[in-house]
Amino acid sequence: MDSPNKLLIVDDNEDILSTFYEFFNSLGYEVKTARDGFAALKLLKNKSIFFDCLITDLVMPNISGVGLISIAKKEYPHLKIIAMTGYGGQPGALASEAKADFVFFKPVDLLKIENKVSELINQKNDKQ
Amino acid sequence: MTTTPLIGVSKSILKIKELIHHVANTCLNVLITGATGVGKEVVAQNLYAESARSTQNFVKINCAALPETLLESELYGYEKGAFTGAHKKRPGKFQTADKGVLFLDEIGDMPMALQSKMLHVLQSGEFSPLGSDQEYKTDVWVIAATNHNLEESMKQKMFREDLFYRLNIIKIDIPPLRKRKEDIPSLIEYYFRLYKSEYPDNQGTRPDSDILTKLCNYSWPGNVRQLQNCIKKQMILNSWEKIFEELTQEHPEIAPPILKENQQNGTQVYINQEFSNARTSIISEFVDLSTSSDKLFEDLSLKKIKKMASDKVEKEVIAFVLEKVGWNRSRASKILKISYKTLLYKMNEFKVLPPA
Ligand SMILES: Nc1ncnc2c1ncn2[C@@H]1O[C@H](COP(=O)(O)OP(=O)(O)OP(=O)(O)O)[C@@H](O)[C@H]1O
Ligand SMILES: [Mg+2]
Repeated sequence: MDSPNKLLIVDDNEDILSTFYEFFNSLGYEVKTARDGFAALKLLKNKSIFFDCLITDLVMPNISGVGLISIAKKEYPHLKIIAMTGYGGQPGALASEAKADFVFFKPVDLLKIENKVSELINQKNDKQ
Repeated sequence: MTTTPLIGVSKSILKIKELIHHVANTCLNVLITGATGVGKEVVAQNLYAESARSTQNFVKINCAALPETLLESELYGYEKGAFTGAHKKRPGKFQTADKGVLFLDEIGDMPMALQSKMLHVLQSGEFSPLGSDQEYKTDVWVIAATNHNLEESMKQKMFREDLFYRLNIIKIDIPPLRKRKEDIPSLIEYYFRLYKSEYPDNQGTRPDSDILTKLCNYSWPGNVRQLQNCIKKQMILNSWEKIFEELTQEHPEIAPPILKENQQNGTQVYINQEFSNARTSIISEFVDLSTSSDKLFEDLSLKKIKKMASDKVEKEVIAFVLEKVGWNRSRASKILKISYKTLLYKMNEFKVLPPA
């Protein structure tokens, strides 16, 4: 079997993090979680895991999701990024401006997100 | 500009240092929040000093200190003849800060009209000086700071949400000094040495461990700036006891909850009592504290109290100004920077009447 796809999930809400973790884990993904943009950035910089996809909330302390997306897109151009937000259009628009591959608005449908994740990862693999 | 090092050993300061290190070269907009004197400007300086832009300008503008029109011309500059008095062209801060850092201090006090313009500039990366049709490209790293709670300001429609989200890409919140007491000894040591080297002849001494404990447990409403001033004063007075005495008299309205934790000695309990008296006397001006707490809490709403408190102050200020100008209402309205109509309305509402 291929090595599992690697996901990094970032949200300052503990419940969302654990729900996402359980869900994607049960589907065979290798999942890491972080509680804010800064913690996520450290995981990305630590080269022991090459993530395929990043799913991030937007409004968070220290490094916001928008900040994380900008930094990650610059330093890891192959990383696919999905943003999700419960704060309406403004952070969402900023995430698109920062070149997130897709933006979901909360409450989110896990199955739809999973579809998007596998679609984005397949795109990426096709190109390579 | 000389950069003040960010002194401190608390978890929050260490984390802020690490964050500065990670974001200094991203050029992403930064919003620094925290109470007065906590070190917002120090953090801004450190971001700049660690970035590749440190060879370029660090330009600061205080958005609270200038009236709206002046602030606008300071930010964007103007062409000759843009307004009366514009005898020659003048570059704005956006231009001076090009390729460097623009530090927007007290951004929470920026008038709404200028917030829209600022948003436009941040979105497009272009601005035009007053009286000019030409759009200039700008490449500035924007670092903003405020001691306001912008979430609250947004609810009150005093701060634009879209501008908030655009600035809040990196958020650095600096806790008040009383929440990071561990930093106090190192701050004292740093400033003690600094002032000793600046004035080698002064009499100042380091606090002994007893005083140090007291200093660490003080609430520091003015945060690091206040601590710094104390150390400076101590260099002249050479009496930590006196300094501490002054401290506890200067800010009796602040009841440091920390004191409750170590009420071993009588004076502290006494001080504590005084603090809470000052508090209740302020509150009792607006609500009847003698009623049962159920009834009291029913009446108590911050919004209502805010209105009552601000009405009370407004009324006094209006009466004060009117008396000074011999009840010339049109002059008073100009001084108060409200319309004549608003003044009449408020005089009526607050029952401010000229002496019969
Ligand atoms: N961590 C620190 N290390 C060394 N000096 C500090 C530190 N924090 C604050 N200071 C000093 O305390 C004083 C106040 O700091 P600063 O001007 O940065 O505060 P501020 O948060 O911008 O306050 P304000 O809201 O009043 O503008 C300055 O003289 C600064 O050098
Ligand atoms: Mg300041």
